[in-house]
Amino acid sequence: MGAVTFDEVTKKFGDVVAVDRFSVRIEDGEFMVLLGPSGCGKSTALRMIAGLEEVSGGILSIGERVVNNVAARDRDIAMVFQSYALYPHMTVAKNIESPLAANRKVRLPAAERATRVAEAAEILGLTDYLGRKPGELSGGQRQRVALARAIVRRPEVFLMDEPLSNLDAKLRTQTRLELVDLHRRLGTTFVYVTHDQVEAMTMADRIVVINEGRIQQVGAPQAVYESPANLFVATFIGSPPMNLISGKVSASAGGSVEVTTDAGTVTSTCSASLSKGADVVVGIRPEHLSLSETTSSGKGLRAKVENIELLGHERHVICSAAGSKIVFRQANDAAPVALGQEVTLDAEPDGTHLFDPTSTQRLN
Amino acid sequence: MSDIPTTSTEATAGSPDAPAMPVPLGKGVRRFGRRLSDSALAYLLLLPSLIVFGVFAYYPLYRLFWYATHHQSRFRNRPATYVGFSQIRDTLTGTDFKDGLLHSGLFMVYTVPLGLILGILLAVSAHRRLKGIKIFQTIFSSTVASSVAVASVVFLTLVNAEIGYFRDVSWLSLKNPTSALFAVSLSAVWQNLGLTFIVVLAALQTVPDELIEAATLDGYGAIRRFFKITVPTISPALLFLAIVLVVFALQAYAQIEILTGGGPSGGTETLLFKIADPSGVRSLGEKASLSLGLFVLTAVVAGAQFGIMSKRVHYGD
Ligand SMILES: Nc1ncnc2c1ncn2[C@@H]1O[C@H](COP(=O)(O)OP(=O)(O)OP(=O)(O)O)[C@@H](O)[C@H]1O
Ligand SMILES: [Mg+2]
Repeated sequence: MGAVTFDEVTKKFGDVVAVDRFSVRIEDGEFMVLLGPSGCGKSTALRMIAGLEEVSGGILSIGERVVNNVAARDRDIAMVFQSYALYPHMTVAKNIESPLAANRKVRLPAAERATRVAEAAEILGLTDYLGRKPGELSGGQRQRVALARAIVRRPEVFLMDEPLSNLDAKLRTQTRLELVDLHRRLGTTFVYVTHDQVEAMTMADRIVVINEGRIQQVGAPQAVYESPANLFVATFIGSPPMNLISGKVSASAGGSVEVTTDAGTVTSTCSASLSKGADVVVGIRPEHLSLSETTSSGKGLRAKVENIELLGHERHVICSAAGSKIVFRQANDAAPVALGQEVTLDAEPDGTHLFDPTSTQRLN
Repeated sequence: MSDIPTTSTEATAGSPDAPAMPVPLGKGVRRFGRRLSDSALAYLLLLPSLIVFGVFAYYPLYRLFWYATHHQSRFRNRPATYVGFSQIRDTLTGTDFKDGLLHSGLFMVYTVPLGLILGILLAVSAHRRLKGIKIFQTIFSSTVASSVAVASVVFLTLVNAEIGYFRDVSWLSLKNPTSALFAVSLSAVWQNLGLTFIVVLAALQTVPDELIEAATLDGYGAIRRFFKITVPTISPALLFLAIVLVVFALQAYAQIEILTGGGPSGGTETLLFKIADPSGVRSLGEKASLSLGLFVLTAVVAGAQFGIMSKRVHYGD
């Protein structure tokens, strides 16, 4: 069915390696998000599934079929483009019908085409706009037409390349929910490309985090957030980003590791045993830091409050600690801190991540 | 009908407090003042183009009409006499006009479709295979830069009966009235090709890649995709070219003068050539009447093109 398998798939443009030995299996019916910064190769990966880019190496399959040499039109996929790519000279109805009518060899009878167009328009609330041209629609409506054109052919796989990036913030939030709903209703494989971590976290069943053409981590949103596989994933996902402080292992025993940094000592839950004196990078998310109740224990990170961001429901307190910037979150009803105040911050051991500074891989 | 209030009741009802009355009045005066200054500004902005059109279009048109309604002796010393519409009528129903019309029409039929098709073919191949190879685009479009005279002389050499490369190609012979018009048309096609090529190529490059990719995924084969997606998207450029080529065809002069001088036996005398009348066989009044005919013809053809194609031309959003 509609599973997509990358097996060591590589794409080169001349000397540029846009996609470097991708290996991942996107399960049938899964909502998979390809997430990464601009230029990381996520569009290229998606376009290879579509057949718009040739595969330079490795094996790409849709279902059980190897598609390396299958033409785009024969792949049974539908794609929603960032620009929507609607045909400006055709009405909405003709645009939606296009995938059913384009290929004369496999064309459905006109009556059936009409039913399916009506059905797709109904699902996306476009029934009243079928007679209009794309130029007479709002951005959100055009986006729906693009979606309708994709679902009308009932493909095995939906591909979407940043389909929400041309919408305003409010519409984007709303459409996010509608896409999740659509996915649930259709039960088809969705492969969705974005650089927006919020979209990835809110919509995905699983996320593929990509950087510089390589897969960094594959996993459920929560898993990727809670145990990032390396420093890139740790800092790319989460806002404000994870705090990073370098330090040295000062004790390692019984499933916990103590790290001494210039700002103080923290403890991390860590099943691996690390050699004493080893360099590590400590990563702590802002919500896993809190003001210490007891200042005398000698544990915790000493920091000085430099700035406070008020967000209404919470505060982000930005501090400096021995030359690094540390941000922590505070509920709005917590006792306020003052600018310039010296504070000691406690880190939750379960939320304290350790990374190897040279390989950047996760240690605990 | 009784529930429609009269103006007076409405006025009293609408303004229960007395000072309300003068306010709309003042507003109205101000609005009128603004309208006046707005239109004054509009006319001021229009003035330059009004002057240009007046001097170069409307006045000449008026003079044209004046000449067409006056009989001018070929000997300049005699005064012109007013003859009303008789001269126009006689000229436009005469064989001279009909021949010119036929030749101009044929010239149009030979040059416009062929020019468009060749231009599109060249542009498409340059766009697809030679993407980025500037030298081919330069070669294809070089005729834009060369003058009609130069291009015509080159063509003349090619079909020269003694030494020309194409001297044995009978359908390019300039000695035969039927083939001569076709040969001259071909030379015009070639001369216009650079322009057609550049315009179509530029239009092709504005077609978004994603549009073509979407069509590919939808299942259009290359040829159907071209006609169903690409052509409609570049249709404004094609309409523009069609009109320009028609106007070029109706205004062709230099290549006819250089290649055949209107001959053999008037076989390449188009309407415009008859109006220009290099051998001076027609009177000013006759030529003015022919010009009026050409003017109407041009307007009708261009109007028809707009009418037919505007239904099928898509101007983006
Ligand atoms: N047709 C091409 N020719 C050459 N290089 C290309 C081509 N397409 C993409 N690249 C390169 O491949 C890399 C990956 O590009 P890709 O479009 O996949 O990035 P992306 O992750 O989608 O980025 P964005 O978020 O900006 O869309 C980039 O370095 C890009 O410059
Ligand atoms: Mg992209």
